[in-house]
Amino acid sequence: MEILAASRCPDCGWVVAPPVRICPRHPVEMLPVEISGYGYVLSYTTLMVAPEGFKPPLHIAVVELPGGARIFCHGKETRALKIGKRVAVEQVDGIFYLASLDIADRVSMFWKRRGAAPARTTGALKSAVKRFFTVYKNGGTTPPTENDTAENQEEKDRRPIVKP
Amino acid sequence: MKNVWIAAAAMTRFGRRTETLENLIAEAALEALHEANCQPDALVVTAMAPEEFVGEGNFASYIGTYLGLSRTPAIRVETATSSGAAALYTGFALIASGFHSRVLVVGGEKMTHVSTPRVSEIISRVIDPHERSYGATMPALAAIVARAALAKGLITETDMARVAVKNHANGARNPYAHFQQPVSLEEVMSSRMVADPLRLQHCCPISDGAAAVLLTSKPMELMLAGMGQGSDYMAVRYRSSLTGFRATQDAARTAFRMAGFGPERVQVAEIHDAFAPFEILALEDIGLFPPGKAAKAAQNGELTLEGRLPVNPSGGLKARGHALAATGIAQVVELVWQLTGRAVGRQVKATVGLAHSIGGLATNNWVTLVEKVV
Repeated sequence: MEILAASRCPDCGWVVAPPVRICPRHPVEMLPVEISGYGYVLSYTTLMVAPEGFKPPLHIAVVELPGGARIFCHGKETRALKIGKRVAVEQVDGIFYLASLDIADRVSMFWKRRGAAPARTTGALKSAVKRFFTVYKNGGTTPPTENDTAENQEEKDRRPIVKP
Repeated sequence: MKNVWIAAAAMTRFGRRTETLENLIAEAALEALHEANCQPDALVVTAMAPEEFVGEGNFASYIGTYLGLSRTPAIRVETATSSGAAALYTGFALIASGFHSRVLVVGGEKMTHVSTPRVSEIISRVIDPHERSYGATMPALAAIVARAALAKGLITETDMARVAVKNHANGARNPYAHFQQPVSLEEVMSSRMVADPLRLQHCCPISDGAAAVLLTSKPMELMLAGMGQGSDYMAVRYRSSLTGFRATQDAARTAFRMAGFGPERVQVAEIHDAFAPFEILALEDIGLFPPGKAAKAAQNGELTLEGRLPVNPSGGLKARGHALAATGIAQVVELVWQLTGRAVGRQVKATVGLAHSIGGLATNNWVTLVEKVV
């Protein structure tokens, strides 16, 4: 499972990813923490009209991670998503995406993003390599897709902050 | 704190306009001054992004000079798409504090001469940069809210479509509206998808236009009874609830407290329906309907011109149009016309009206209450 950089408020304990300097709830400097890239879907959309620099259809999901951190991430077919669905997320070059994407999806996902072609190519390559090694470690099979929902997993979600 | 009254209100027709921004603003401003038959002693100007859309800076002075009011103190106010309401609030504060006694509040936007992708890009700068880096636009964030509201059962796809149908029916009776043709439920529900589940006909258009209100410390027929501002995280992902807007709830609470009455006295409302589901969610956030009841009221026809609480008699952002900084003022112009019996063709019976304006994706919202004092 991917470990993600985040920040935690020393006052209220709220976790924000990607890390920010000041807690959005308090004018207090946050502390760096790491969290596991595993959470559940809060909402999602597919943009059929993409802004300048992006190519439609563009899939965006909002995912809640351990400690209450919420991130935007890219997906593939958001129509297959469900609110409350458990998902793993990965990060390459500061871009979050659903870990369930296969190599072809990853390449197309990076290609649809704004940015210079070399940056998009290396992003896609890094992501594809990550996928390759995950499959390799699991003896040729992809990791199991998780179907359990927010309700039964909510308690677990709050705990696994890896390193404060 | 002094009471603040409305001496005059005027607006241009919204839509695709060929005039320059300063000419649109002048059209609304001069009409308001003519109606009130007096000169302002302060000027509050608003435009959300004139630097980007028309390439003008130092905008308060520019408009002051253009209007022949170069010696009148002028200030520019901006809070994204609720800038019009923010300007009104500033004018309100200038009079309530006793600093000035006649304040002209004027706002406008000119965008239709710019290509649509470019307009979207400029408007999307109101979004948190991290979220924007995923390609999130205003329709994308609104779709994320709508998706969550659909999943919670607060609204259905038919409810969303019904908002657009009602507001177009009202816009068809408003000579100042951008769209003056009705649409059918089928047309809305089969229009092309913009950001799943939002379709083109759930989204407000890009409009040009301007609106002006002259506020005064001298008692008149209409009082600005209460105004409230509410704010929220710029990042949508920080919010504990995706389906209710804290900024609207706080704004409404403050406005009603200032006015000294509650939502039960409101008889007509202009709601920020930039995206159709927002109208239903706002009615509940403001407290005009109990949680989970607004969609039902819409189904029963309670929000039409003949209904118990007419909502967006002007056509709302969907049909009257959304000329960004002009919108918050245009909503109050509509309330003035409704409360003084000048809303020809779409007149409702009311003595208390409410306007609700959303800045960004509900980061800086306003609720304004206008009361006819008999």
